[in-house]
Amino acid sequence: MSQHIGRILFRAFVTLLMVTTLNFILFRVIPGDPSALLLSGARISVTPEQIEAQRQSWGLDRPLFPDQVVDYLSATLRGDFGYSFKFRGRHVVDLILERLPATIALVGLAQLIAIVCGVMLGLYAGWRRGGAVDHVATGASLALYSTPSFWVAMILVVIFSTALGWLPGYGAYSPGANSLLDYLRHLALPVTAVALGLIGQYVVVARAAMSDVVSEDYMVTARAKGLTNGQMLMRHAFRNAMLPVVTLITLNLGYVVAGAITVEAVFAWPGVGGLTVEALNARDYPVLQGIFLLLGASIVVANLMADLAYGLLDPRVR
Amino acid sequence: MKEWSLNRRAVVKALLLGSAAPWVMNSRAFASSCDDHIVRLAGIYAPDTMNPFATWSSFRPFVYTYDFLVNVDAQRHPDRKGFAKEWFVADDNLTWTFKIWPGMKWSDGQPATARDAAFTYNYLLGSIGKPDELNVGQSSTEGMQDVESVKALDDETLQIVTKVPTRWPIDNYVVMVPEHIWKDISYADARGTFRNDPPLVGTGPMIVAEFQQGQFIRFTPNPNFRKGRPATAGMILYLFNTADPIAQGLKSGSLDYGLSLTAAQWADLSKDSGIVVGQQRIEQRNYLAFNTASGQGTGRTKALQDPAFRDAIGYAIDQKVIIDRAMRGHADPGVGIVMPAAADYYSDLSDIRRHFDLTEAGRRLDAAGYRDTNGDGVREDKQGNSFQLDLITGTASGTLEMPIAAVQLIAGWLGQIGIPVSVTQLDSGALIARTASPAKGGGGWDLLVAGTWLSPMPHDLLGLGSSKQIGSGNTSYWTNDKFDGLLSEADRTVDPNKSKELVDQATRLIYTEAPYIMLCYPFFLEAYRKDCFEGWGTQDAISAWGSFPLDRLRSI
Repeated sequence: MSQHIGRILFRAFVTLLMVTTLNFILFRVIPGDPSALLLSGARISVTPEQIEAQRQSWGLDRPLFPDQVVDYLSATLRGDFGYSFKFRGRHVVDLILERLPATIALVGLAQLIAIVCGVMLGLYAGWRRGGAVDHVATGASLALYSTPSFWVAMILVVIFSTALGWLPGYGAYSPGANSLLDYLRHLALPVTAVALGLIGQYVVVARAAMSDVVSEDYMVTARAKGLTNGQMLMRHAFRNAMLPVVTLITLNLGYVVAGAITVEAVFAWPGVGGLTVEALNARDYPVLQGIFLLLGASIVVANLMADLAYGLLDPRVR
Repeated sequence: MKEWSLNRRAVVKALLLGSAAPWVMNSRAFASSCDDHIVRLAGIYAPDTMNPFATWSSFRPFVYTYDFLVNVDAQRHPDRKGFAKEWFVADDNLTWTFKIWPGMKWSDGQPATARDAAFTYNYLLGSIGKPDELNVGQSSTEGMQDVESVKALDDETLQIVTKVPTRWPIDNYVVMVPEHIWKDISYADARGTFRNDPPLVGTGPMIVAEFQQGQFIRFTPNPNFRKGRPATAGMILYLFNTADPIAQGLKSGSLDYGLSLTAAQWADLSKDSGIVVGQQRIEQRNYLAFNTASGQGTGRTKALQDPAFRDAIGYAIDQKVIIDRAMRGHADPGVGIVMPAAADYYSDLSDIRRHFDLTEAGRRLDAAGYRDTNGDGVREDKQGNSFQLDLITGTASGTLEMPIAAVQLIAGWLGQIGIPVSVTQLDSGALIARTASPAKGGGGWDLLVAGTWLSPMPHDLLGLGSSKQIGSGNTSYWTNDKFDGLLSEADRTVDPNKSKELVDQATRLIYTEAPYIMLCYPFFLEAYRKDCFEGWGTQDAISAWGSFPLDRLRSI
């Protein structure tokens, strides 16, 4: 078991190292110059000299290799992610940490709701294959799974914000308001939009897993031994059906920190997804590197958790 | 018993739910401006810092909080003055005198005098030539190389002496900042890390009190505003990436004013009796540019270098159809490089103006030597090579949509005269990289459809043809010594009439040479609700250049 964990940890370390290096290359191969982009909003004629001056102040005039890449790697290994180009004077870590709570609240809560509702519904539909619940859940899930979440988001805004006026359609809180209730009201529609898409995903996977399990020989044997439905479900079916579901949950949890870019855009939600878009539009290399390193790390950790959970759920994996 | 307890629980739950229903049904999710008298605006903006020496992205909050010394609105409207109440230039055309509003105060109660204005300009002047020169933000040293000195003669009089005649003293975008706040900020910090966190201290009508990046900016009325404290209780500017929430917010009543609307949203909002829609003439120009550096190997054919070829293409562009179909009527037809919003300099060039005529375009191409000699339907250049032109474009220009329909129309017309065109749409970063100067790796394209929104000052109006701006403002890489001379002379001219004459000459020259074909001058689409406030502007509900009418809006 310890050897198994050691292997997993080593793999995670190598992956993170590769992500760190790739982060540097990835954003610099995208065409576009951050200094020209940031000055493109000027209402006066900008000279090439001004653009060059800005490039110099960010060190972008130096050779990519070895100067810039060595600086980046040594700074990253020291835990220094640098300063944002676009959000002048803001440290990358501060910027990301500022947006992270909103993203975790949005995607984390949506994941939680989707896991509880989606997995339960999927397992039940798989257990009662061919029943009314199965038909409705499968149809609805496929529809939700295949519908873009930004479209669901827009529909929710039109109904619950514009037409009924029950819930706010944008932002995380009302300016001047500082109450949990206000925050929850702002959170309601974005969470619903993200959760609906995820529920569909969980139902589809959980149902398929349970359908496979109920047709296994050991289930027939269990029934022949006289086990009740509840005993069969809890002792044999549930644990086996959870293997693919656990994989999906852990992988999805890895994406919690990435935010939900399209839904955040519709609701002007101040999360990491929105920050990614802003940084990408401005070619803000330090912020992009920071976000993608965080994302890479969280997915590596999620995979690590999946591997460890597999070991616990299925002894053969050890 | 067990069954009954379950039912009883269900009944209690139902009662609780039922009691909450009327509250949910009757409660609005957002505060109403009619109740709290706070004006709620929204637009597609992404301010990044409140430091005017470090950014160009926070123009809107700056114009509400700070004053320019003079600027665009003050020159067009006598009731929209900035930091200076009046100004004049001496007969030498070098010495400018500005009378500052007497008794004016900063929002924190300190006196706002000519000494603050002198400090602001001298702060910039002092940075020139230093490693941290303040040349990247809205308050910039750009243009100050012609300034000899800036000094306060007394609290109410500012004198700017220039080395050469120039209108820079009244045409610059430097915001006046208080000396007592900025005197200890180093150039390195002002250029980079100093964020000027709220509450700001300014002389504008609305002062930034809270800045939530990517969400909103909250303003409070300036109690010391020179025309008296604004009548509203404050203002919130919501910051969005797309126009959808703006349109929805206007319809639901959670916003009072929105701009950056799309044509479809504008049409939809125009049906709402509680909303007034408007379209502002702005200094935006959408154009077709030719890669005139193609002879240096960056384009497909040397034909692009030939003014006769470019002129003939000008006859194949129907600006009226572009406006009707691509812009849904929300634009003026493109003519010269000066747009109608710059009314002092605009000319419709009626005496030399091209008109849409595909036959005429073909005839001119034939006459210039670009014929289809092998009968394959595609014209050949003077070297005998048939060619297809690569047209690149973006998805947006600033906050304005760049309709792909306009590009498709152009490609269609050129195809009809035997010039096949392939179209590539790029994001703004990739577009800037491709249109960089050939020396910096740009130029790998033939035709470009893009837009630009700069100030209505002669220097910016003529920047499209400036050889000094190749790789930034001049995207066609066109150079012309005579044009550069006219631009240089316009930069050195104080007399408005002389300035108009020079701009007109330069406009005609570049029109004839045709490195650009102007497609249209798009309008800025806006809308406001009329239930809570009155006092909106009639031509432009909110000024694109100043704080009007936030200083005079009143609750109904």
